[in-house]
Amino acid sequence: MELLIWFAAHSTQYAVFIYFLTVNSIYTMLIIFALRDIIRHSHLATSRAARRQLSGEFYYKPVSVIVPAHNEGAVIIQSVKALLNLHYPEFEVIVVNDGSGDDTLEKLKAEFSLAPSKKPLRLQVPHEPVLGFYRSADHPNLFVVDKVNGGKADAINAGINASSYPIFCSIDADSLLEPDAILKSSKLFLEDDELIATGGIIRVLNGCTVRNGSVTDIKMPDTSLEAMQVLEYTRAFLSGRTGWNAIKSLLIISGAFGVFRKDMVIAVNGYRRTVGEDMDLVMRLHRHCKDKGIPYKILFVPDPVCWTQAPFTLGALLRQRNRWHRGMIDALLTNREMILNRKYGATSLLGVSYFFFVELLGPVIELLGYIAVPLFWFFGMLDTRFMVMIFLLAVIWGVTINISAVVLDTYNFRRYRRTSDILRLCLLGAGEFLGYRQIMLLERIRATISFRQTHWGAQVRKVIK
Amino acid sequence: MIEHITDSPRFYEYVSWAVLLLSVFNFSQIVYLLWNKARVEKAERRKDELKRLAATAIVTSLSPAELLPLPSSEEEYAAYSESIASVLDSFEGEVADRAAGLLTIFGIGAHYRSLVRSRSWYKRCNAVDMLTVFRMDENRAFFIELFASEPSADVKYRIIRGLSLIVRGRDDLGELARMLSGLPYLAPKYTEDLFYNAIIRLKALGKEDEFGVFMRLIMRDGLVRAEIKRDCLTACYAAICEKGRPLLKEYYAAHPGEPEILAACIRSLARAGDFTLLPEALRNPDWRVKLAALKHAHLCCEDLTGEITGLLSDPNYHVRLNAAMTLARAGERGLTALRGAAASQDKFAAETAAYALEQEAAWNS
Repeated sequence: MELLIWFAAHSTQYAVFIYFLTVNSIYTMLIIFALRDIIRHSHLATSRAARRQLSGEFYYKPVSVIVPAHNEGAVIIQSVKALLNLHYPEFEVIVVNDGSGDDTLEKLKAEFSLAPSKKPLRLQVPHEPVLGFYRSADHPNLFVVDKVNGGKADAINAGINASSYPIFCSIDADSLLEPDAILKSSKLFLEDDELIATGGIIRVLNGCTVRNGSVTDIKMPDTSLEAMQVLEYTRAFLSGRTGWNAIKSLLIISGAFGVFRKDMVIAVNGYRRTVGEDMDLVMRLHRHCKDKGIPYKILFVPDPVCWTQAPFTLGALLRQRNRWHRGMIDALLTNREMILNRKYGATSLLGVSYFFFVELLGPVIELLGYIAVPLFWFFGMLDTRFMVMIFLLAVIWGVTINISAVVLDTYNFRRYRRTSDILRLCLLGAGEFLGYRQIMLLERIRATISFRQTHWGAQVRKVIK
Repeated sequence: MIEHITDSPRFYEYVSWAVLLLSVFNFSQIVYLLWNKARVEKAERRKDELKRLAATAIVTSLSPAELLPLPSSEEEYAAYSESIASVLDSFEGEVADRAAGLLTIFGIGAHYRSLVRSRSWYKRCNAVDMLTVFRMDENRAFFIELFASEPSADVKYRIIRGLSLIVRGRDDLGELARMLSGLPYLAPKYTEDLFYNAIIRLKALGKEDEFGVFMRLIMRDGLVRAEIKRDCLTACYAAICEKGRPLLKEYYAAHPGEPEILAACIRSLARAGDFTLLPEALRNPDWRVKLAALKHAHLCCEDLTGEITGLLSDPNYHVRLNAAMTLARAGERGLTALRGAAASQDKFAAETAAYALEQEAAWNS
């Protein structure tokens, strides 16, 4: 018995110690990769500004913007108006009303003078039956698909079938695209035939001022809960995704803003009905291209910006994180063939392995650490000095990663210009370890236990002012 | 294992050092962030002021160089470059000449030519892009020479774009085609844009016929990719190149197995008002060729109604839909055919015909 306890104690110590070193080393490496990628990108962004002056009137590809909407009555009008104001020569906006129980469709009909259209839709990817197809009399490039509820993935599939253009962009109904976001992301498709999907950065809208569908003043949100999410998004996109991008292992293009080549998405039978449809699609695109030997690129670009409402209550935030984690587990299980499979190259060995061993199994090990370390210390199996020093190192290392992400953002993009906002972000980098991280960890554990559930949970929206 | 590590006398020393170094690093990052913020804001203000000053001087003064300080930093070069580029984009004649003159007087062109020797490929990209914006004739030989020595394909694509804006004749066009053929094919829009630039430039020089000669030269040249030929034809369409028109039928005849070339020929000919190949194109087995023909079929003749009505049952969705839209625009005979199709047993034909009739009613209302 004593031997068993000794073995368990040592195994746990090793696991926690190795996990701690691995996770922090990966994040540090990602920051370094991201730094290189972003500096390069910022130089090329200057070039692009020059090239824009050279681009002729024909230098674009038309884009379909697909907006799945389920009970989005509070925000849908403002969002669609913002989309209709995009700076782009040729695009269509397709709002898919996914069986809303509120007045989403009525509001759209009244605001944009929608009239039924008989346009025959191709059934290229599967989805629930369409109840009606409408075209705006005021805006000839605005279409609304009314369909039976089937979830976000199903709604985007319906949008794909209704779309006319070779590239489509899917965005959330509560998000606002910067006017040049489509221009910046779709230009990449013009200059690279191998590019099949790209995504821009998602930033937190809370706290910002919006006028006529455009963000006019960028400010940190007032509450710490929302402000903490600004830090998380900054870290996740600028160090995480940019870093994965640099090593060609990007597995997620955010569902809030992604641009895809339609033929490739149709080739993988569109989105799959799951709560993590964004990651699942990207993984299946990787698989499809590798299986068929198709040369391809999936890129994250940090300058097209999509502003999104972050949850403003703890309950909503936990529901969101629970859903994200369940989505990730589902995507990994569905595409388990990609785990440690040499056929899928770096994407499998680096990207998928990271998600499996760090994001999926990590929370369990981290929780084990939080429980076991104090216990071992209490029973005298762990040196106090060791425990304090390792805890201090873990926190300081984590703070370094957070502050480095803020530096990356502020140095290159300078979105938050107030000194107080920048200092607050740095402070939050330290504050994350005082409760916030632990609460999120518990929710991820809950999500791991209930990963088979497929519900989205109720979402609360604030009217965009 | 952990005991091995923790029992080491230096373990705690190392951890303490790591904590200390990370703390100092964090503090330095924050200080740097604030210092850099102040620096960049100051530089931005200076840049904006210089840009405004330069634009005003170029537009209002006969010798703007006398009113402006010599650029010395990268920001100042960038400010002048942006101002000059925007003037060159918006003005012609004397004002544009004055702006171009500043490039030489202030050594801005020479500055960016020196930057293309940078070790970072993205800095070279940036320098090439700036030189491209200036559209200086003297860069022509420089670009050709640079292309030969440049190792990065990313930079090479930009050099080709720069060259496309300052071509002088068929030799330069040939050079462009050769450069393109030596690189992996990038994307149709990119190549089309290059030849569009070239046609516009040749038109401005009164040498549009040089493009026709170039097209004839590459028509049967196996070393030039079919995609490049197709993109040249599409550029003809976009830039309304009249001189390339006589060649379009020859291209059509010479490339029966290249549907995209055929479609490009059909589009360009139709834009120039020549519909003679449309009936044949409507019978082509490839949907892309049929689609290109359908887009213009309503403009030519009503006697194609029978052929187009048949295409309402084509297996391809785009062909069906465009056949219906073409009939809706083709006058009373087309509408009669559509009404007949709307009542047909063929579900696809009936649906597309009903939609086209609805669209036609919407246009009329």
